[in-house]
Amino acid sequence: MNILIAITAVGVLAMLSEILNFRRFLYPISLFVMLVALALTGMEWSHGVRYFNDMLYMDNYAVVFTGIMVVTTLLWFMMNENFLNGNPRQADFTAIISFALGGAMVMAGFSDLIMLFLGVEILSISMYVLAASNKSEPRSNEAGFKYFLMGAFASGFLLFGIALVYGATGSFNLREISEFVSENNTDMSAIFYGGVLMIAAGLAFKVAAAPFHFWAPDVYEGSPTPFTAFMSTVVKTAAFAAFLRLFSTCFSEVSTWWSPVLAIMSALSMLVGSIMALRQTSLKRLLAWSGVANAGYMLMAVVSLNEYSDTALVLYAAAYSIASIGIFTLVSNMTNAGNEEISSLHGFSKVNRFPALVITVLMFSIAGIPPLAGFFGKYAIFAGALKDGFVWLAVVAVLSSAISVFYYLKVVVAMFQPAGREAVQLEFNPGQSLVLGLVLVLVVVLGLVPALITTLI
Amino acid sequence: MSQYLFYILSLLTAFSAMMVVFSRKPVYSVLYMIFCFFTIAGHYILLNAQFLAAVHVIVYSGAIMVLFLYVIMMLNLNKESEPHKSNIAKTAAVVSGGLLLMVLVSVFKSADGLAINPAFDSQIGMVEVLGMVLYEKYLLPFEVSALLFLTAMIGATMLGKKEGGAQS
Amino acid sequence: MSEIPLSHILFVSTALFFIGMYGMFTRRNMITMLMSIELMLNSVNINFIAFNKYLFPGNLDGLFFTIFIITIAAAEAAVAIAIIINLYRNHKSIDVEEADALKH
Repeated sequence: MNILIAITAVGVLAMLSEILNFRRFLYPISLFVMLVALALTGMEWSHGVRYFNDMLYMDNYAVVFTGIMVVTTLLWFMMNENFLNGNPRQADFTAIISFALGGAMVMAGFSDLIMLFLGVEILSISMYVLAASNKSEPRSNEAGFKYFLMGAFASGFLLFGIALVYGATGSFNLREISEFVSENNTDMSAIFYGGVLMIAAGLAFKVAAAPFHFWAPDVYEGSPTPFTAFMSTVVKTAAFAAFLRLFSTCFSEVSTWWSPVLAIMSALSMLVGSIMALRQTSLKRLLAWSGVANAGYMLMAVVSLNEYSDTALVLYAAAYSIASIGIFTLVSNMTNAGNEEISSLHGFSKVNRFPALVITVLMFSIAGIPPLAGFFGKYAIFAGALKDGFVWLAVVAVLSSAISVFYYLKVVVAMFQPAGREAVQLEFNPGQSLVLGLVLVLVVVLGLVPALITTLI
Repeated sequence: MSQYLFYILSLLTAFSAMMVVFSRKPVYSVLYMIFCFFTIAGHYILLNAQFLAAVHVIVYSGAIMVLFLYVIMMLNLNKESEPHKSNIAKTAAVVSGGLLLMVLVSVFKSADGLAINPAFDSQIGMVEVLGMVLYEKYLLPFEVSALLFLTAMIGATMLGKKEGGAQS
Repeated sequence: MSEIPLSHILFVSTALFFIGMYGMFTRRNMITMLMSIELMLNSVNINFIAFNKYLFPGNLDGLFFTIFIITIAAAEAAVAIAIIINLYRNHKSIDVEEADALKH
């Protein structure tokens, strides 16, 4: 609970800073309060408190996911120092980002479907606004509108599903629903199954899993790059935390009914994502498609529901968020230079030795090359699928990650090629270099000792 | 009596909802939408949710639809636009929607088998009862929705204000 | 009221949901698309109230979910209108098919 208060305090302070004119100090204040929120997250660990009539349940699962998201947001703030400081809309952006993080936290810790809905909506509404925040750029407006349309449509599905589950079980509370399901799992009414499938469809829209992914590349490309970075890390992590929490606590007893559907979605996302990513020339769009593929991998953790899916998803989400933040530091510099094409990276390693090294390591990690964090995340998820008997799904996943090595390496190769005429100079400011350093340490350490995070759950 | 009322209301709801989608001029759509909202409020009253019916009319017809009308007026958007996308999109929408509709209708056929609880308390939809529950059981969602409004408010003003106009 | 079967109310709400969905897929006017989404949300509200009244009249959960949906729909509509006005400033049109700077 204190975490939520600390996080929203950043937003309230940001609004006050406009009125009381301490905008200069807003950036350090927001960094500091985020650190406080991280400390509070640590203090919440292993207490397992249920807040306010079991509306929010901060078990270790919720705490660890909140921790990942707070760290990612902290890195996000550090990476966007130049973007935020001096920006006339700094206060707005800071406030909306911190409220979005609050929504994400609610999504990780919800214990009642009404909280799930509120969390999803807070996160979505802030993202619609941020996607459309570059007002003079038509592409940004369009991205915002597309995101809104698809997001609201998905909310409609999610709500319809929740209504049907309510009709069948008579409660919104996760514990009561799961008790009801385990008592009556042989004769649940058809309404319940319809509801579960519609909730799955609504959440699949939100996580951009195929066949509901078509909005994602456009939205990711059109949004201002800092917010694309936030979308592909915090938003994705939060959505999957909610997905797995809901399906593992409530619907695990009827998993034979929905797991084939989700397995097909997962396989489709992996294949479509990797194949489309191969064809992209713009780095931002490539990352969007690879995000679809990664949604497929993370969906595997939900499909193969067993005692290890929690730890597998945490490890994967942590590795993916951290690596993505690092890569997006590069992308935001490319956006500032006005060229997001991969070919514009030629000669990059000559000028920026350290960033080139870090990005290479991150690309290896996200592609799943041992001994980095991404490899163990993928390994845990694939092993879970095999254990649960989804051999075909694991085969598709291996195939798709083999394809993914090609497009991630395409970026690495481009960085180490000699400069052509169109090479652009990219400058990393101290904050961004620090982010890259931290990210490098995290990826290597999590790769060497994955138990650091998996034992926390 | 209420039975006839229900079927008449349902017909009106469906008809006005269709007119929202099929009208060529946005203003007609908005007007049909307002009518549709009133019929839905009628459904709520039949379902013994009086407070909700009032809130629904105030928020939807009074706030959201007036906002829509205002935008249409301000931007002068009442042009007759060619109302349909390509035929492929249309057929795809009809086919996929129809399939899902059939599934749902067959699901709902089974709803009559659910145990209907005949308990009836005419006070349950009233404000006093609602207030008690809202500030006890639903306190946290209530506070969190305040967070949501703050976000929406900041967002809407940020998108609305002129670029660079508000800086010191 | 109890003479009306629950399934008939659910049919009405399902019809609304799919009219809304049809509108979202086929209309090109952004304002109308927004209204289609509102139709979908309203169908969900009817569902909640009907389940609440018929199956669980003892508690008010469905009613409260509906109140939250109504308020959030209002916030969402405000944000959407802000985005649409911005789009209109750039495109001088609210036809979705004219907003096509982003293509696959």
